[in-house]
Amino acid sequence: MKVEGEHIFKGTQKQVWDLFRDTEVMATALPGTEKMEAVGENVYEAVMNVRVGPVAGKFSGNLVISNENFPETYTMTVDGRGKPGFLKGVGDVILSDQGDGSTLMKYTGEVQIGGKLAGVGQRLIDTVSKSIINQAFDILDQNLVERTAAEAEGREAEYQGASEKDYAATVAKDLVGGVLSAPWVKKLKGK
Amino acid sequence: MTYKVIGKRVKRVEDPRLLTGQALFVGDVSLPGMLYAAFFRSDYAHAKVISIDISQALEIPGVVGVYTAEDMGDDWEPGPPLVSPPPTLENVVFNSRRQVPLVKGKVKHAGEIIAVVIAESRYIAEDAAEEILVEFEPLPAVVDLEKCLEPGSVLVHDDLDTNLAAHLIQNKGDYEGARKEADLVISRRFHLDRGAAAALENRGIVADWDEKNQHLTVWDATQSPIPIRNGLAARLGLRTHQVRVVAPFVGGGFGPKIMMFYAEEMVLPWISMKLGKPIKWIEDRRENFYATTQEREQIHDVEMALSKEGHILGIKQKFIHDTGAFNPYGLTTPLNTQSHSMGGYDVQNYYSDLTVVFTNKTIVTPVRGAGRPQGIYIVERMLDIAARELELDPMEVRRLNFIPPDAFPYDHEIIDQAFATLIFDSGNYEPAFDKALEMLGYEDFIKNEQPRLRAEGKYVGIGIVPFVETTGVGPYEGARVSVEPSGKISAATGVGTQGQSHMTAFAQVIAEQLGVEVSDVSMVTGDTAEFHWGTGTFASRGAVVAGNAVNAAAGDVRLKVLKLASKILETPEEELVLEDGMVRVADKPDQSISLGELALLANPLRGAVEPGTEPGLESTKYFGPAFGATAFGVHGMILEVDPETMMINIRKYITVEDCGTMINPLVVEGQIHGGVSMGIGNAYYEKLHYDENAQLLNASLADYLIPGSTEMPHIEVHHANTPAPNNELGTKGVGEAGAIPVPAVFAQALENALHDYDLEILETPLSPNRLYELLQEKEDNS
Repeated sequence: MKVEGEHIFKGTQKQVWDLFRDTEVMATALPGTEKMEAVGENVYEAVMNVRVGPVAGKFSGNLVISNENFPETYTMTVDGRGKPGFLKGVGDVILSDQGDGSTLMKYTGEVQIGGKLAGVGQRLIDTVSKSIINQAFDILDQNLVERTAAEAEGREAEYQGASEKDYAATVAKDLVGGVLSAPWVKKLKGK
Repeated sequence: MTYKVIGKRVKRVEDPRLLTGQALFVGDVSLPGMLYAAFFRSDYAHAKVISIDISQALEIPGVVGVYTAEDMGDDWEPGPPLVSPPPTLENVVFNSRRQVPLVKGKVKHAGEIIAVVIAESRYIAEDAAEEILVEFEPLPAVVDLEKCLEPGSVLVHDDLDTNLAAHLIQNKGDYEGARKEADLVISRRFHLDRGAAAALENRGIVADWDEKNQHLTVWDATQSPIPIRNGLAARLGLRTHQVRVVAPFVGGGFGPKIMMFYAEEMVLPWISMKLGKPIKWIEDRRENFYATTQEREQIHDVEMALSKEGHILGIKQKFIHDTGAFNPYGLTTPLNTQSHSMGGYDVQNYYSDLTVVFTNKTIVTPVRGAGRPQGIYIVERMLDIAARELELDPMEVRRLNFIPPDAFPYDHEIIDQAFATLIFDSGNYEPAFDKALEMLGYEDFIKNEQPRLRAEGKYVGIGIVPFVETTGVGPYEGARVSVEPSGKISAATGVGTQGQSHMTAFAQVIAEQLGVEVSDVSMVTGDTAEFHWGTGTFASRGAVVAGNAVNAAAGDVRLKVLKLASKILETPEEELVLEDGMVRVADKPDQSISLGELALLANPLRGAVEPGTEPGLESTKYFGPAFGATAFGVHGMILEVDPETMMINIRKYITVEDCGTMINPLVVEGQIHGGVSMGIGNAYYEKLHYDENAQLLNASLADYLIPGSTEMPHIEVHHANTPAPNNELGTKGVGEAGAIPVPAVFAQALENALHDYDLEILETPLSPNRLYELLQEKEDNS
């Protein structure tokens, strides 16, 4: 499965880079994240609760950052397993300066899924993964503001996490949106 | 021959028990002290097993044991090869690799078993299975039928230097010569994909080792209880009489339930012997999607040479058949494809090159149709394309090529799945074909109705496809029939029952011979304690092979009855009649004796039984045909396509079936209805989607669509009858027939309905989505 997308962050390349490399921020931004900690140079261990339609359960695995080219590109490799199956992915993140103080973040990657996650959750995984990412971006936007403000004010940043409720609402919205944007529905509506 | 009971629409005697929930299925078996099994299966399709940690699972209260391959020691062995390649074929490459009871070293398809948990309840067993920790080293998966043969491909079996499972060539006549004479040569590539058999009842096993009796009983939802019994005895070091395998009522077989041994079928009896306790496991639906065999994935490159009048001069075919991770069932399925790629046509030149490959997907064994739907699909598609290119009536092209009735027995000069020469025993195709056209109103539809509906903006199309089915192959089946002192009849045969109405149909054969009511016959099927010679229920052979064995045994009992009655009634045998459970003197109705009285007299408590005779009115007989009985049929339909949603509405569906003598038309029609429903699924709804890592993406009935009652049309069935010449009843099989031609009928009807688009369908299964994509591709290219 291919994943790709982009998002504009209101911050400099460096600020966005630092944001992404802050495990505390990432842990709060990804819904269902129970734990994320560094276990070595650019190697992190994470535990995340994932719910894809009828498939739910805890994934644990590794996240490795490589090919670092500060502050523009890096490669992220994830490898997780849990009762609902497994997930394995490699992706490239590109940060480019927009020239107006904002940064365009682009990501492309390949994700393999297996087990119940694939066999039962496949129909929903595309939407659900997009929802997770979109919600993460919303929170990262807020956290970037908070982080920048806290830095300026010389205080400890207080990050807001993703709530299960918000996540469920985002998934529902994206699913309905996905159906309504299908070509045959558009065609029908056009009549 | 005129029959009194055979050929009558007798209502099924098994139905009252089934409909009131009184019939025994494996799921109903409950024994004192019974334990339950759950399996830890691999999510990965291809991965090395680095380590297995069962310690946490063992700590859960109620867990009795957890077993891995290592625990089996010397008892660990791959399953036996069920079917070898045909010994008479030359230059056959065949690499035999069979499924294993528990994974050792490397997982070769998702769903393979790493460990089994035995616990006091299924709940505990399932929970404990989730606590097993297995470290895997995932490997790239072998998925693509062609790429897997390229040099440097990842290998499914490391001890083979290739993913090639088999290769063979069958040749008849001289295709290249015929090609030179041809006015038209067409070539096309076809993709045929996988589906599930999806029986209503999943697999299930209860294994019970009785230490004091030194006896193993296994209730198994299998199509082949006798080979399972024989195999289990051999594997477990027991005598065959120490093992009883019972296949009680089984909720649908369709082929995959004959795949001995499934890992579970070996492991549970083995553990039951270790623990001295009964163990139960019923497969759940998700397990079924990964662990129960599937079928139909092939890629064909086909060439057909024709004269300008539409005569088929020859067919050349090169195809790859996916056998999944193992090939225990040998070449049965692709040999069937070869046997059916000439359809019911007089093809003098045929060259067929078969390659079988291993992939990291679920094992492939026959599923209702068993390679035949693929053969029929390609030959019928090629004829449709040829007719279009030659600007001929597609129906006329078929008529032109049918094997004529005086050409039977027709020798196809190739080897079939039963290792015999492919001989079509009998047939009369053209009248059955014309009948189908008439039932569907073909001419009127083409001339009047279709233009009228098209003018209304409706996309309606017609499809008619004839097909052959080789049925009723050997080696043999047997039956025992005996008259009880009550005058009722008890009978048993080795084949198991998965909905084929054996208890009714075989009872009709016995009732015909012995002059009793069908309800007076008690028929046991699929219990090795009752009858222990035979092979199983497969290849549309029950009514042919077991049916004729039942007929032979009942006929022999009839002779014994007549002999004894003749003596007692002091009347020559030829003046006696059997009716109403009595033997009567033909013209003196008051001179008679009941079958019950005769049975008592045949089994005296004193005196002597004459030397050279047997006690009782009982007989055991066998039937083994040299080659099969070839059935024929025609399916036709008119369908309408909704151009927005690509959903279809089948406006009319007709079939003409020629399965020779019918024992019970009601049963034949039931088989056809079921077959057509499966065929509709194969054609337009059911497809197993594997991704590039051999992960199944629709392993639930929410995503894998099976046609429901709303998708089923009313089916009009007409019966033709060309009795099989090589068995006494004249029967031919019909169990698989209904499913065989449906994808080909769909393709033809869809092309016809969407004629504006000039679509050429070269794949199956389709779906509303896929049809939409095909039309989009067509639009994009033009």
